[in-house]
Amino acid sequence: MNPTKTVLVLASVVVVLITAGMMYSLTSGAIPVFKEFGLRFIVSSEWNPTEGREDYGALPFIVGTVLTSVIAIILCFPLAFSTSLFIGEYYRGTRMASITGTMVDMLAGIPSIVYGLWGFYVLRPMIVAFGWSAQGFSIFTAGVVLAIMIIPYATSITTEIIKMVSNDLKEAAYSLGATRREVIFSVIIPNARSGIFTSYILAFGRALGETMAVTMLIGNSNIVPKGIFQSGNTMASVIANQFGEADGLKLSALVAIGLLLFVITGIINGIGKLIIKKYSV
Amino acid sequence: MKNLIGILALAVLLSSCGNSSGGGDKKSKNVSLTAAGATFPLPFYNLAIKNYSSNTGTLLTYGGVGSGGGIRSLTDKVVDFGATDAFLSDDKEAEMPAEIVHIPTCIGAVVIAYSLPGVEDLNLSNENLQDIFLGRITNWNDSKLKETNPGIELPDLAVTVVHRSDGSGTTYIFSDFMSKISSEWERVVGRGKSLKWPVGLGGKGNPGVAGTIKQTAGAIGYIGSEFAFAQKIPVAQVENSAGKYVTPSLESISAAAQGEIPVDTKVMLTCSSDPDAYPISGFTWLILYKEQAYDGRSKVQAEETLKFLSWIIEKDAQALAQQVNYAPLPEKTVAQARKILGSVVFDGQPIVQ
Amino acid sequence: MALRIRNQRQDFPGLSRRLAKDRLFKGGVFFLSMVTISPIVLIIYKLVSNGYRQINFDFFSKKAPDTYEAMVAVGAGEIIPGGILNGITGTLFMVLIASVMAIPLGLLIGIFLYDQKTKRYAGLVRDLVDILQGVPSIVLGLIAYFWVVKTITHGFSALAGSTALAIMMLPLIIRSTEETLKMIPETIREAGYALGVPYHKIILRVLIPSGFSGLATGILLAISRVIGETAPLMLTALGSMEVNLNIAKPTSAVPLLIWEFYNDPNMVDLIWSSSLFLMMIVLLLNLLSKQLIAKRT
Repeated sequence: MNPTKTVLVLASVVVVLITAGMMYSLTSGAIPVFKEFGLRFIVSSEWNPTEGREDYGALPFIVGTVLTSVIAIILCFPLAFSTSLFIGEYYRGTRMASITGTMVDMLAGIPSIVYGLWGFYVLRPMIVAFGWSAQGFSIFTAGVVLAIMIIPYATSITTEIIKMVSNDLKEAAYSLGATRREVIFSVIIPNARSGIFTSYILAFGRALGETMAVTMLIGNSNIVPKGIFQSGNTMASVIANQFGEADGLKLSALVAIGLLLFVITGIINGIGKLIIKKYSV
Repeated sequence: MKNLIGILALAVLLSSCGNSSGGGDKKSKNVSLTAAGATFPLPFYNLAIKNYSSNTGTLLTYGGVGSGGGIRSLTDKVVDFGATDAFLSDDKEAEMPAEIVHIPTCIGAVVIAYSLPGVEDLNLSNENLQDIFLGRITNWNDSKLKETNPGIELPDLAVTVVHRSDGSGTTYIFSDFMSKISSEWERVVGRGKSLKWPVGLGGKGNPGVAGTIKQTAGAIGYIGSEFAFAQKIPVAQVENSAGKYVTPSLESISAAAQGEIPVDTKVMLTCSSDPDAYPISGFTWLILYKEQAYDGRSKVQAEETLKFLSWIIEKDAQALAQQVNYAPLPEKTVAQARKILGSVVFDGQPIVQ
Repeated sequence: MALRIRNQRQDFPGLSRRLAKDRLFKGGVFFLSMVTISPIVLIIYKLVSNGYRQINFDFFSKKAPDTYEAMVAVGAGEIIPGGILNGITGTLFMVLIASVMAIPLGLLIGIFLYDQKTKRYAGLVRDLVDILQGVPSIVLGLIAYFWVVKTITHGFSALAGSTALAIMMLPLIIRSTEETLKMIPETIREAGYALGVPYHKIILRVLIPSGFSGLATGILLAISRVIGETAPLMLTALGSMEVNLNIAKPTSAVPLLIWEFYNDPNMVDLIWSSSLFLMMIVLLLNLLSKQLIAKRT
């Protein structure tokens, strides 16, 4: 077989090994808690870490994770997509586009603690001022900060992909009298669809796994929130919070939550990909 | 491009072969120590380690990963010693791969911080604390609070309880105290490094709780004493076992250790019988294996570990603790700690003479 | 013969509506883009206004201060002494090693996925990569703890930290590589084949240069992502008071220092200047990569 192809296949095996290895480590760590509570763990809302009366359930965190990430991607999408069009199409090649692009990329380099702090000192009072929440700690607050955090991921890749749409196609459309907007919707987007979608999957993944910023803004109540302006908790946040002190059954519960996050990421990605498949046919 | 990669790879290779560590300004020996654990005494440990490193040239790294992380790291034998705010019970000790010993290093306290505009002085009786943290008192102008604070104008403001969202030794000391003063608390919530809180917001770490308290009028919560002192956050006077309202200070915290301390120093200092003691105080310990010859560990490594531990319980290090608002060990506990260190062996032979 | 210049709008019904939509859309794009950059302006402002005072030559050349020095300085109203040299060297060191691990591997896997597009196995690998992106950084830290700290280096080490960071970088590099290569017109690749160019040369001389901009963006994004990560490093690199370039020993990093400063009541003010530093590094990398891309095209 072609030696180059062999090298490529070998490289791909590394990914499989890493993910398989991770699933193995997580599963073996999670077994004790599943043995103790069975599948009830996934839908239980109890979280009592006191020794002697331990009872753990993952539902509040699953709900929190899904809610915050969905809010984040919904808020991020119009902003990131517009910015990509701004940089990659409308003002392509100009100084303004370059500066905007650099500013957006800088958002990716800010440590998540700093996002948490900024959210705590700047965003939270804004939310309190709007009257949406009494102290400002809520799913929504975390969702907003997450949206800002994932913008660079969605924007950067989409911009590059949009820029790479072949000029021939665009000029053909213009020569037929299409307006700019029509070129975007009928040529650029269909052509770049795969890349655009991938960038949002990556952004969404980032939102699912974000820890620090969320933990500072979500209120850390281990209950299923009744509304997006209530406080709650996410899977990544509870792991980060409790991990330092956990052992025994509690550690197993946290590892199990990590495993569940794996599974949920897979499910949501899968659903997204199915939707896209339906649209492209 | 290829040349660049080649140079980079060479650089990485060279640096990993080298074993240079240290700023190069001190006489660095080849032994370095690693430790991990509790965040409660972190300011003290940081200062002590810096001092020790610059005086002896032995590099010591301490990571504040949490008491659980410290215990885990010691179990996995990836550190020379661990640090924990809650001592291991005999059962937990039995689960360790080998016998361990606890060395107390200093005394810290948990204080009740609050944010009440215009109120500088606040007394909170044991019953008040129980009611507030169980969610029964919901407004600051509650009659029960007025009883313990005659002459202070308490505003009509909702009470917001703030607790730790992450597991911590601070929570353990606080809940231990609460369990001792309130049987209802013991029944409903209990003691532990992380709890199922009946009411309140969770803040991450001392800074999270302190930040939330400062930003929310009417908030009340518990934080490590060092934090409150350094950031000048108003704290409440708490009722001790003699019925006195005590302000947390180095003296009142030290007084908490004046009672009976067992030989292995594994004891909670909450609700001390001493009449001047601040009741929400506690030791913090360093843990290590009694038999130091494990896993190919060198004698030199064990000796250096013991050297550091012997230093941290003595006067010079204890004076550093006071500088950063931790109470030093009382003389009799220092003697007990020395004795415990004397029992640590390498291949059966005591290391410290 | 006179030319009748007819009103375009009469000839092309619906044109005015299309033009209106066009203008409206452009306005919307512009507006939302400005909204997008407003947080960055706000954040930069906050970092600069709180952090600029701490940035001086010492900042880059001295190690982190201890809590007592900081307490004294804060009490006296002076700037806190010391700097973040141990963090800077640690970050550069670990990110460099992580990049050496992740970039070649990520590129290869991205090329693999592009090459194999629709095959079942490639689809599986692609799905796994996307799932990997969603793993919380602390879980990756835990994995690196088990694989490296416990089994390879028997202690906290820079290698473990780099491993965690490398795993975090992979999905971004892999997927952006794949998507970039997919946008290169087939004709270019086929021209290479037609000339009898061996496959590895096609990759190196045709595909990578054509997609250089996209590939560089993916790499830059991946580096930006890991440069500010804290949680995984806490469990793997642990931190250090000294500058450390030994791969098997604990080492500090700027985000770790930020976390330590945050948790210490006396050193809180240092977080802003350190964050500003990280942002400046990302800015620098960004400008460098733009230069590189410009040179290539």
